Amino acid sequence: MMLPVLAVLVGILIGLFFPVSMPVEYGKFLAVALLASLDSVFGGLRAALEEKFDNPIFISGFFVNALLAVLLVFIGERLGIDLYYVASLAFGLRIFQNLAIIRRYFLKK
Amino acid sequence: MRALKQGRVALAFVCIVLGIMLAVQFRTTQDIRSTIPFQRAEDLSQRLKLAEKERDSALRQLQEFENSTRAESVVREVDMFRMAAGYVAVEGPGLVVTIDDSKRAMKPGENPNLYLIHDDDMLKVINELWAAGAEALSINEQRLVVGSEIRCVGPTIMVNDTRYSPPYEIRAIGDPKTLEASLKMRGGVIETLQFWGIQATVKTQQNVKVAAYKGTHKFQFAKPLQEDTPK
Repeated sequence: MMLPVLAVLVGILIGLFFPVSMPVEYGKFLAVALLASLDSVFGGLRAALEEKFDNPIFISGFFVNALLAVLLVFIGERLGIDLYYVASLAFGLRIFQNLAIIRRYFLKK
Repeated sequence: MRALKQGRVALAFVCIVLGIMLAVQFRTTQDIRSTIPFQRAEDLSQRLKLAEKERDSALRQLQEFENSTRAESVVREVDMFRMAAGYVAVEGPGLVVTIDDSKRAMKPGENPNLYLIHDDDMLKVINELWAAGAEALSINEQRLVVGSEIRCVGPTIMVNDTRYSPPYEIRAIGDPKTLEASLKMRGGVIETLQFWGIQATVKTQQNVKVAAYKGTHKFQFAKPLQEDTPK
């Protein structure tokens, strides 16, 4: 269980030491991608706890979800529809759901 | 839990990517906070707060004035007008200018007038001082008020119907630095006077006393215009 946490810390360190900065205009896309990734990770965790974890599904879900979210927001931006908020809301709800299930699992144990 | 162990490497990789994204997002948010529109909005809101504070204090002041009795405000106004008319001796930071005739030996055939102080020299100095924001001026104890004249009477100068001979002492109350700079600027009054050897010394002082006007203001011909008076 320690490995994912450690990996996240390593990633944060890498991100801080390599000054890759996003242009401000793309901040929204990155935010949505981040939300999608978080959702995938928590979903993966939940699947693992439910003994249903599938590696290819997890990996593909992580990247495809993020990319699709960015694409949707991008299209929304072009069409003048603020899909950014919709995406944030949807992913946020799912993250909280997953977290609730994970919490319940730990409590039952 | 077995499946989780299988995908350890993949999971670690995904988590590293997630960490990088977190860090970049954090930095991007930081960047947005330092961009011009954001700063400008913050700046404007700060100014709005300041303006509101000022308005509140002004309103409070207005209320105070309204509450204070009418007699009080009249007394205050009279004091102000007395000071403006020069009936009150005043003191404050300022400077003392002493001007004396030229001691330079005249060359034969030259006009002696060039080496004497004239009323227009004094007027230039006085004018410069008024322009520099002097609040009260006097020449040799004669307070300069709205009707004060400065004119040549033979070798002397007449101020407020009183004759004075050199040296003349001009006392001015105002910001000492501004007053001094206005006189001493390049090509200014003092430089022109010194060209002719006229001795002018400028001393800034923290406490200059300016005498009160001893005459009276008379209005024989002028009457206030009714329609121009406020209210």
